[in-house]
Amino acid sequence: MNEKVIISVCVGTGGMAAGALDVIKAFETELAGRGVEAEFKKRCEVHKVGCRGFCAKDVLVDVTAAGKTRTYQNISAGMAPRIVDEHILQGNPVMEWAVGPEYATFHGKQHKLVLAECGIIDPEEIGSYMEHGGYKAAAKALLKLHPEEIINEIKKSGLRGRGGAGFPTGMKWEFCRKAPGTRKCVICNADEGDPGAFMDRSVVEGNPHSVIEGMLIGAFAIGANEGYVYIRAEYPLAVERLKRAIGQARESGWLGKDIQGSGCDFDIRIGLGAGAFVCGEETALIASLEGQIGEPRPKPPFPANKGLWGMPTNINNVETWATVPKIINNGAPWFSGIGSEKSKGTKIFSLVGKIKNTGLVEVPMGMPLKEIIYDIGGGVPDGKKLKAVQTGGPSGGCITADYIETPVDYESLGALGSIMGSGGMVVMDEDTCMVDVARFFLSFCMDESCGQCTPCREGTKEMVRLLEEITRGEGTPEHITMLEEICAAMKEASLCGLGKTASNPVLSTLKYFRHEYDAHIFEKKCPAAACRALINFRIDENRCKGCGMCLRNCPQGAITGQKKKPHTVDPDKCIKCGACLDSCKFGAVSKA
Amino acid sequence: MAEITLNGKELETAPGATVLEAARAAGVDIPTLCYHEALGPYGACRLCIVEASGPVLKPSLITSCNAKAADGMAINTESPLVVKTRKILFELLIARSPRTKPLLEMAARFGVEGTRFKAAQGEPDNCLRCGICVRACTGKIGASAIVFARRGQGRHVTAEFEKSSSLCIGCGSCANLCPTGAIRMLDEGGRRRIFVNERVISDLPLVECRNCGRLFVTPKQADYVNAKTSGQGRPSPGDLCPECLRVSKASALSGLPPD
Repeated sequence: MNEKVIISVCVGTGGMAAGALDVIKAFETELAGRGVEAEFKKRCEVHKVGCRGFCAKDVLVDVTAAGKTRTYQNISAGMAPRIVDEHILQGNPVMEWAVGPEYATFHGKQHKLVLAECGIIDPEEIGSYMEHGGYKAAAKALLKLHPEEIINEIKKSGLRGRGGAGFPTGMKWEFCRKAPGTRKCVICNADEGDPGAFMDRSVVEGNPHSVIEGMLIGAFAIGANEGYVYIRAEYPLAVERLKRAIGQARESGWLGKDIQGSGCDFDIRIGLGAGAFVCGEETALIASLEGQIGEPRPKPPFPANKGLWGMPTNINNVETWATVPKIINNGAPWFSGIGSEKSKGTKIFSLVGKIKNTGLVEVPMGMPLKEIIYDIGGGVPDGKKLKAVQTGGPSGGCITADYIETPVDYESLGALGSIMGSGGMVVMDEDTCMVDVARFFLSFCMDESCGQCTPCREGTKEMVRLLEEITRGEGTPEHITMLEEICAAMKEASLCGLGKTASNPVLSTLKYFRHEYDAHIFEKKCPAAACRALINFRIDENRCKGCGMCLRNCPQGAITGQKKKPHTVDPDKCIKCGACLDSCKFGAVSKA
Repeated sequence: MAEITLNGKELETAPGATVLEAARAAGVDIPTLCYHEALGPYGACRLCIVEASGPVLKPSLITSCNAKAADGMAINTESPLVVKTRKILFELLIARSPRTKPLLEMAARFGVEGTRFKAAQGEPDNCLRCGICVRACTGKIGASAIVFARRGQGRHVTAEFEKSSSLCIGCGSCANLCPTGAIRMLDEGGRRRIFVNERVISDLPLVECRNCGRLFVTPKQADYVNAKTSGQGRPSPGDLCPECLRVSKASALSGLPPD
């Protein structure tokens, strides 16, 4: 009998960037070239699978042979021959390339629900999704449940919007269902724009059918016949997979007229975003889908009553939609059994920044931040100290290391002046200047402001100017007063969520890192030694061996010194690029 | 009709009135830049914020231009929060346009003199991005000649592709409605030109009045008005200047000769 061997290669954007397609080709060439199937009677299949989260170790390859799965990390095309030779043909896994213990710890504390099939199924084949229970929930919902039963189930489950605000999904659906009108629509918001966030991309890339199934169930419950996925054009792979999935769903009768004989008509179209962050805001998203300029509109009217082309419209985020089939399959009590008191289920975070295990993690709501950072993320690299964790993207805030025990759910993060947001989690170490962080997020919001309303358009610009002056050592106590006043005005008076929350990074750093602002203003010092205008590079004469490495690397000719004698930096010529620090092998260069 | 409390006084509003309309009808001054009676609410300048609370509303700032007055609403147009927030908005606007007189006068009326914020980089302009010109041109005239381009800091009023507009009919509504004079219309040398901050966005020839010979309208506008009023038995307005049109209408009604 032919033994079956499956080689699963991660083809998420992370995997693809690391060379997944070359790896696949190498395996295929290798398998064919050696006649593995013909001569060795091993039936080999190379599968493409979505992201399994541990992007730091891409390309990740699973080899399942003789009933056992072995995962390899950091695989490149050149490594394929040896794996085929030793593992597949001789049955001896190449242990030195296999994942280490951190792979197990990374996954150990996670609770994969939305991501459960990501990295297992082939995102390009509906059959693969069906094999893993795909469209079972839709069949149950459309053929056995009444729309109101579905809404009640979602309400009972306690599911809240995963896009950031955390509004109860069931209630949102009910508003739209009850809104007068016969033509209604549902929209999937896949315009993921937070810097450092890639949850939605990975879900769409790794399991596009879960989003389609969720939308189908929601549309049936709401009474909508039209669906749109608004997705960033910068996610070409996700768009391609989604298009393919929609096509396959149509062919298999999961989209279109009279779906599976239920009498329900529903179809999905894709709308591409052109890269404006503000289009993640629902009214701006609707304007953009309509072909208008992507600018927010005043609420009310809310989309549930008057949304896309005036239709009652329900918008949910990718992760929310992908959660829906799980709830219908397993029931509300199962779902509400996961998570904390007011935040149910799981949440996906993209763990980035100064963290060992960069990647995508899905954890039950309410897990202490500490467990996510240290147990799953492996802590801060290079022996550095954790300084803060930024959650919620540009609308979020920074949480200090003192609050590391905080359970991660909507309420607890809100209480600390941050937000859950869509799930970006940026870890910062002691080398990060918090004033500079605030400046970074503010300038992001300034660039992304649509410019329609006064507080956001003018306020972000003024705040960026004030923060820049502080980081240059030109700040005064009045700067802080002005920042606080603009923050308050923007929060109160902005037209949309972008402006209302843009001040959060400033407010939270002012709250927890006031001493850093003060150091910049009063002592003209940057405690993290990150703000160029306030630091100086120095060479320790006791450590300097006079090797001349720094001298050769300095682009300004600011370093002088004779061979084998200690060198010096001329502060007037130095542009503080740090090339000397990076090139010194003796730790003689320091900045302060 | 709704019964509301406005700055402590109870009053009844006109049916369907917004908070702004109700307040103005009651003689309460609320500053607005982007609001225009003919165009409806826009909600962009945010100067018309008031503090509102009501049966279902927690006390919060709302923009009065687009909020319908509802029974039981209590509105305060001068609460400390309103005054504080409005001051920042004025200061931010003055920083952008420090020499724009109508803005400075409006700010002064609400107790804001000058700004602590830095003036805009480069030459400050008079355009406050209120969008009245854009909305009039698109929503009322139907020409869509004058538009907003770019976003955020780069947002500015212009014509398509930053060139002299091919869609503009030269009606001058934008210039007439502009609250700060940032848009100007100039009839000179047989042509009508429209400027946004000194840059030409429209340059069209003018035609003579059939009767008096005065240059008064662009052919595009004449065609546009004729097309809109066709079949209504009026003298073709594109041919006569407003004055001659009035005389000719009066003459037709009274049966007396125009002179």
